[in-house]
Amino acid sequence: MHIIALTILRYESTLKIQGYRLWTIKSLCPREEREKSKVPGFKYEVCIGLTSARAAEILARDGPNALTPPKSTPEIIKFLKQMVGGFSILLWVGALLCWIAFGIQVAQGVASAFDNLYLGVVLALVVILTGIFAYYQEAKSTNIMASFSKMIPQQALVIRDGEKREVSAEQLVVGDMVEIKGGDRIPADIRLIFAQGCKVDNSSLTGESEPQSRSCDFTHENPLETKNIAFYSTTCLEGTATGMVINTGDQTIIGRIASLASGVGNEKTPIAIEIEHFVHIVAGVAVSIGVLFFIIAVSMKYKVLDSIIFLIGIIVANVPEGLLATVTVSLSLTAKRMAKKNCLVKNLEAVETLGSTSIICSDKTGTLTQNRMTVAHLWFDDQIYSADTSEEQTTQSFDQSSQSWAALSKVVTLCNRAEFKPGQENVPIMKRVVVGDASETALLKFAEVILGDVMGIRKRNRKLAEIPFNSTNKFQLSIHETEDPNDKRFLMVMKGAPERILERCSTIMINGEEQPLDRERAEAFQTAYMELGGLGERVLGFCHLYLPEDEFPDTYPFDTDSMNFPTSNLCFVGLLSMIDPPRSTVPDAVSKCRSAGIKVIMVTGDHPITAKAIAKSVGIISANSETVEDIAKRLNVPVEQVNKEDARAAVINGMELKDMTTEQLDEILINHSEIVFARTSPQQKLIIVEGCQRQDAVVAVTGDGVNDSPALKKADIGIAMGIAGSDAAKNAADMILLDDNFASIVTGVEEGRLIFDNLKKTIAYTLTKNIAELCPFLIYIIASVPLPIGTITILFIDLGTDIIPSVALAYEKAESDIMNRRPRHKKKDRLVNEQLAVYSYLQIGIIQSIGAFLAYFTVYAEQGWLPNTLLGLRVNWEDDYYNDIEDSYGQEWTRYQRTYLQWTGYTAFFVSITIQQVADLIIRKTRRNSIFQQGLLRNKVIWVGIVSQIAIALILSYGLGSVTALNFTPLRVQYWFVAMPYAILIWVYDEIRKLFIRQYPGSWWDKNMYY
Amino acid sequence: MEMNATSGGAEGQREIYHLKPENKDEERAQHSEDEQEKRKEKMGKKTLADVIQEMKTFLWNSEKREFMGRTAQSWGLILLFYLILYMFLAGMFSFCMYGLLLTLSPYTPTYRDRVSPPGVMIRPYLHGFTIAFNVSEPSTWTPYVNSMHHFLQAYDDNIQEEKNIECPAGQYFVQDGAESEERKACQFKRSQLQNCSGIGDPTFGYSTGRPCILLKMNRIVGYRAGYGTPVSVNCAIQKGNESALKSVDFYPGNGTFDLMYYPYYGKLTHVNYTSPLVALHFTDVKKNDFVPIQCRLNGEGIVNDVANDRFLGRITFTLSIRM
Repeated sequence: MHIIALTILRYESTLKIQGYRLWTIKSLCPREEREKSKVPGFKYEVCIGLTSARAAEILARDGPNALTPPKSTPEIIKFLKQMVGGFSILLWVGALLCWIAFGIQVAQGVASAFDNLYLGVVLALVVILTGIFAYYQEAKSTNIMASFSKMIPQQALVIRDGEKREVSAEQLVVGDMVEIKGGDRIPADIRLIFAQGCKVDNSSLTGESEPQSRSCDFTHENPLETKNIAFYSTTCLEGTATGMVINTGDQTIIGRIASLASGVGNEKTPIAIEIEHFVHIVAGVAVSIGVLFFIIAVSMKYKVLDSIIFLIGIIVANVPEGLLATVTVSLSLTAKRMAKKNCLVKNLEAVETLGSTSIICSDKTGTLTQNRMTVAHLWFDDQIYSADTSEEQTTQSFDQSSQSWAALSKVVTLCNRAEFKPGQENVPIMKRVVVGDASETALLKFAEVILGDVMGIRKRNRKLAEIPFNSTNKFQLSIHETEDPNDKRFLMVMKGAPERILERCSTIMINGEEQPLDRERAEAFQTAYMELGGLGERVLGFCHLYLPEDEFPDTYPFDTDSMNFPTSNLCFVGLLSMIDPPRSTVPDAVSKCRSAGIKVIMVTGDHPITAKAIAKSVGIISANSETVEDIAKRLNVPVEQVNKEDARAAVINGMELKDMTTEQLDEILINHSEIVFARTSPQQKLIIVEGCQRQDAVVAVTGDGVNDSPALKKADIGIAMGIAGSDAAKNAADMILLDDNFASIVTGVEEGRLIFDNLKKTIAYTLTKNIAELCPFLIYIIASVPLPIGTITILFIDLGTDIIPSVALAYEKAESDIMNRRPRHKKKDRLVNEQLAVYSYLQIGIIQSIGAFLAYFTVYAEQGWLPNTLLGLRVNWEDDYYNDIEDSYGQEWTRYQRTYLQWTGYTAFFVSITIQQVADLIIRKTRRNSIFQQGLLRNKVIWVGIVSQIAIALILSYGLGSVTALNFTPLRVQYWFVAMPYAILIWVYDEIRKLFIRQYPGSWWDKNMYY
Repeated sequence: MEMNATSGGAEGQREIYHLKPENKDEERAQHSEDEQEKRKEKMGKKTLADVIQEMKTFLWNSEKREFMGRTAQSWGLILLFYLILYMFLAGMFSFCMYGLLLTLSPYTPTYRDRVSPPGVMIRPYLHGFTIAFNVSEPSTWTPYVNSMHHFLQAYDDNIQEEKNIECPAGQYFVQDGAESEERKACQFKRSQLQNCSGIGDPTFGYSTGRPCILLKMNRIVGYRAGYGTPVSVNCAIQKGNESALKSVDFYPGNGTFDLMYYPYYGKLTHVNYTSPLVALHFTDVKKNDFVPIQCRLNGEGIVNDVANDRFLGRITFTLSIRM
């Protein structure tokens, strides 16, 4: 039977934490589960754990120990959403109208009724297919990441019915006694009642990169701070512990954070808002023109049925059916390109969000820093040396000639328990896996880089005794033989908290000579210690002592318990300071963000001093910026007297943040351009993100821990770390940095901005031809000419010839340095603005229509129907019984001959639009620069687009011209060139427009013509 | 390893995590809830009054003196710009159209491939191809008779004699000369239709249940029907019992279109041209039934079996004669 002392019963304080139940041990361990200790002399009662029956009871009450997975929308709902979103509604209306028209016409016995049935089916198919496409894209990009369920430890060692057994962690209940050991994942929130050398890695929960020791001592009111609670999903790094489960499943801290994350609604992405805005504009135009002309048609004494058919045509002509699919493809192309640059985008729309980002709230650990302790500075011979902290260090360049360094390096090497895992000889030193804690690892690697073969040195200097670090001594020491065979002395090496080490020293080594540690030396030490501490670095002191040969002969029995060797009057050798250093690419990336008008805010759980030091070294706080505190210190005045507006930088502690009102936070966010938030909780990260969003900023949040996940979700774009990131963070994020490198974000911003510009071009390109498709219907209604272009033909433009070219615009290079301008304003810089719509619709669109009408009139005139004959001809033209209508020359036409001519007209109109769309495509390459500045041939994909466009038109006309259902006919060669002058006009006109925009920036022309 | 050597001893007390508020009596929780509600109100939908006010301001912003977002000057400029642009475009379009019309001949269409081979039509034509009447009820057939009379006015013998010339039969009446020269037309007298001329029987046989139907081949400029052999007409039951149609008389001749009526020179120069006709006299058709009849043109160059065009070289109509 496993027995646990119930000394813990003394700590009966019930901690009040919102939403977090803390069970008292007494209530969890009822009287019947205790028994008198059988250990002689041990007077407390012991807890023997739950009985199986009791456990089952609690399990039934609380449910299994698992996190409720985030609610996901059922697939069918997602699919149906795609079917009704965007233009789909309009097209459904179109299809419905078609079927209504079909029904009426069938009842009236009209021969061509089935055309409407087919058109309705085609429209429905278009909606369904684009819906399926969008759904597929979404499903593909919504990488179903390893979900919360993956974090659940598989098995737990639990004491039930008085005996140890392995149960599935899901079966754990409150009150269970569990045992954990190094390497285990903690199976639930556990209150420790026994611990031996237990350390846990809480980094995913709190952002602290250092291992936290756990004991049975209640040390803090806050469950996250107290040492006697180990948390669900964190890892036990070393040692063993036994504890009682105090919370399971969703009630655990991580469960609370997870539910906090899922409670945060998903905001609409900026591009989704823009597309919605654009859909509204186009749908508004379609509906209003449709209704207007329906009324006109009815008042012109058209039959209602005919008017309905016109309405269908107007809707189909106005809706860019292929555009949403094109946008999706463009976004996914960019997403692919970004994935190559280590930005994996989970949510396609997030591709652009990064481009409009105006504030990045970055986590420190792992994102800005390398997430490993590295030796940054050394102090020996009364001098501070800097060490190389880059990721790929192979040598260290500081002065290593001094004898003091030789001594220091020996202490560093020997007084260290960390070891490389075997079999890594070919791995670069910095990448080798080490068994040991973070700072020892740092020292080991540091020594290995400089001295090489640390393990060999240790072997040659055999270790005889060792006292590992503990929190009361705050030092670690070991005693070694020396490698010099002539020197029979033992070497005692010691490291630890600098002030504790100094206390034990009487001498200090300067240039290899032991000198007395006088007051002056001690002050020098203090200065150095403070300076290194001020850099946010963790400082360790090192000392040694050669034990005299006569007192400590070869056979001397060292006993670490009785400490039968001197531990004072040692010789102080030096200081080493360590930090989790910034990644080498980060400073450059931060300055790029700056020049791109993006504010970088550091939000970290770490200490303010460390945070500030890192912020300074990466440029988040620039070299010449000061905080209010800095100014106060410099001017030697109280903080209150400093004018807050003088300080560009601000370092805000979580404690200060807690007491701030919304207004105060807003004030800080507005007044300071360089901000660091330290010691922040997940809730506060959320508050900071919301504060930024209140400033109308598009906020990106980077993070890796579970504690970041609510903020990641709340942000406009959440960016999780791919390597270090926890699953929860990856789940909540929209984007994952595969290389954990902040610099990759900059690439992402660039791509995001480029795609926004290019989508603008794509939409402008696509909208233009809508007018050329719409005008035929309007003229048809007003002037009663034979229909210039059919609905099916329009669909062939929208979903055929235009698709590849509009995607090709996504490959267009930027016109100017997009990283040197400010991020777009969410509400002012729209994707589709008035200028874009007006220029496309009322200028280029009109030119296109005229060009296409010229081709239409040419075809009819050359076949015997002069333009004046066409006017008002519609009723007779479409009369199925009227098979001898006279043309301008007195020739008589059957209905089918007319229809065939009408299709020739469609084809000519279609070809003309296609030819002019080629010109349109070329002009859309740039919005401001001349095409010749941009390079006509630089974007090869554009040419693929043009070739595809013409090829499709050729195939439709000559290949499928005999398929009557498609309404195409083989066209005479010359008709391909009729609209050419207008295509050239489009190009020339747009070049003139751009020239004036460049020549007269800010002028009336610029304001009205630049989109 | 945990050495109490962290910089400057910033033992920042971490704020107590207040995660999802459950304890309603916790002040802070309520505070933040209130705030959220306030924000929701702010972010929430605008009221109708706001929208109307916004619309009003958009229509007329008295502060900036703007109508629909533009001042008078701005509107003036933009309208002037569009006036110039559209005038230029209209000019360019007119110029192109003028150029197009210059390339066209007023006498002969550039292409005639879509209108040939010729289609066929019948008279009487009352918006449909079902000729149904009751012999004993004149009101049911007078519309047909009127349609025939109306159509044949131009074929009155005296009009034809006055305007047109007699041509030698059996050969094309080719008139060379300048394109713009006026062309003569050959006479096609109503009397040539004999029993179906409406002269002897002004009811074209409708009053006796033996109706006449006129068949006309569509005109095509320059088209020489039959390539030397006159095009003839034959009629048959389209589907069903062949005995329903016992006999049909054709006038003139054996139901042929004489070559002298071709070619046609277009309505500008061939002003008095009257299309030749073939009258079909259905002397013995099954009564009191719907009889579908198809008449075809036969001759070289004539196409009468295209599935899509049921009026190309053929025509189908239904006779329904009630006694």
